[in-house]
Amino acid sequence: MNEAAPLPEAAVVAEKLTKRYGSLTAVEDLSFSVAPGEIVGFLGPNGAGKSTTMRILSGTMSGTSGRASIWGVSVALDPAGAKRHLAYMPENNPLPEDLRVEEYLTLRARLKDVDPSRVGERVRKVMDDCDLTRRASGRLIGQLSKGFRQRVGIADALLAEPKVVILDEPTIGLDPHQILGIRDLIRSLRGKMAVLISSHILHEVEQVCDKVVIINRGRLVAQGRTEDLRRELLPEVSFTIVTRADEAALLAACRTIEAAATVAALPSADGWNSFRISLPTGSSARETLAGALIAAGISLREIAEDRFGLEDIFLAATRRTPGEARRS
Amino acid sequence: MRHFRTLLAHELRSAALSWSTWAAAGLFLALMGGIHFFALVEGSRAPSDRTPVESTLWFFWLPLLCVLPLLTMRTFAEERRSGTLAALLTTPASATAVVWAKFLSTWIVWVVFWLLFTLFPFLTVQRLGTPGDTRLGDPAILWGGLCFIAISGLLHVAIGILCSCVTRSSALAALLAFISLLAMTAAGGAMESLPIESWEWLGWLREPAAHLRTFGHLQDFAAGILDSRPIILYSTGTLLCLGLAVLSVEGQE
Repeated sequence: MNEAAPLPEAAVVAEKLTKRYGSLTAVEDLSFSVAPGEIVGFLGPNGAGKSTTMRILSGTMSGTSGRASIWGVSVALDPAGAKRHLAYMPENNPLPEDLRVEEYLTLRARLKDVDPSRVGERVRKVMDDCDLTRRASGRLIGQLSKGFRQRVGIADALLAEPKVVILDEPTIGLDPHQILGIRDLIRSLRGKMAVLISSHILHEVEQVCDKVVIINRGRLVAQGRTEDLRRELLPEVSFTIVTRADEAALLAACRTIEAAATVAALPSADGWNSFRISLPTGSSARETLAGALIAAGISLREIAEDRFGLEDIFLAATRRTPGEARRS
Repeated sequence: MRHFRTLLAHELRSAALSWSTWAAAGLFLALMGGIHFFALVEGSRAPSDRTPVESTLWFFWLPLLCVLPLLTMRTFAEERRSGTLAALLTTPASATAVVWAKFLSTWIVWVVFWLLFTLFPFLTVQRLGTPGDTRLGDPAILWGGLCFIAISGLLHVAIGILCSCVTRSSALAALLAFISLLAMTAAGGAMESLPIESWEWLGWLREPAAHLRTFGHLQDFAAGILDSRPIILYSTGTLLCLGLAVLSVEGQE
């Protein structure tokens, strides 16, 4: 009887990864992990070391020190074993121009140890999933648009049903329709494969990923769920309020529920005053603010919580030093 | 091994569909056809020790220097430039399988070119020869010479592959291969023509120089003399070049 292989605790592990080119340190002491079935965004400014880290994890580059493993297999000690569990789509997705899509995917399936009897079936499946069958299967890759080339790259990544998929900038250069398609495709992988995805489109990452890892100058500056990072990196929540009341009345009302509350005036119009009320993250006053203002006799035309997105988290994280990141 | 077979089949197919292979084949056949024609004309004018086939094979260095670099230059340099080599190495296929598949496919194409060349002496004998007269195309000389070209071709192709591994530019790879093959082909002859005998301090070169006589090897093979020393020279040289090529592919970052 076949026993299923035990599920490793982490599908991807980077432990104190360091990569140096002479005196230049591209990645330093970088540690993070990706759980099986989890989709993780890998973020950082240009030159932060994202692609270098992904190349080390995929076994196409060796690290100077540290440990990388894919599905419990050390990338340095058993690169072929690690590659059997992994699919990696590099930045710019290099593809042979002179092959047809179906030929290319068939070749890749054979090289990725797909059961020979299932090669045709797998190629058809990924071409269907990536919407390539109807419009691109018989065309030369060199004749395809950027969007279709990206789809070919992702189809290649999914061919051998790997445990881990690493995608370096999969949506770069795509139009909004294509980005939506790729986003849905990646989202459909949740629970089936661990996905590590780097992107500069933070909105995309926020929509798709369970967790983010943010690096800057080769070092980890933040990692975790977006909501947790929001609490950690953004110490305040704020509300925009439009009212007839003045600043003093508003501050007095806020202070009855949260002593640390602050009020700042915003540009006003039409005889209405606009203010920004800031409260510490996690303050219980967040839920009771509107009620407290009404109870204090303040008439409100509008009250809205300011939403801080991943962009704000990213900016806050990349501003802080690695030392601060470690302490937190 | 399965990856090697898959890669070899892919490389052979790519070579068969590539315009550059057909251009190289055209150039090769034009060169060798021209040389054979002039050898026939020369043979008809004055008696010679060599048959036209022997004279033609003597010019094997010309396609070696002009055509073989065209076959080997793109093997790795182009793939490194476009990034497809890095993508290939993300699969479980090893660098060794990749290097050997590209090497063997190029060698097969090179041998097929030379087999195509046999059409010239064959057609000459068919059209101009008389039964029993082997002067126009002695099969023993022809096949002996082709054996030399196939065996030495292992090393020549391996040198071209190694040159293609160390650069991202196909043109530079071709130039490096040209210089390396020229040096290798000419080395034995050049060393033989040096007055080594009179230079005592160069006496140790006498033995290696004797082993590097490329044209001497051709003469031996064409005469049916099967010496194991050149076979060992070409096979160990091939393994060395391919080993370095594997290290170069594995080490590229």
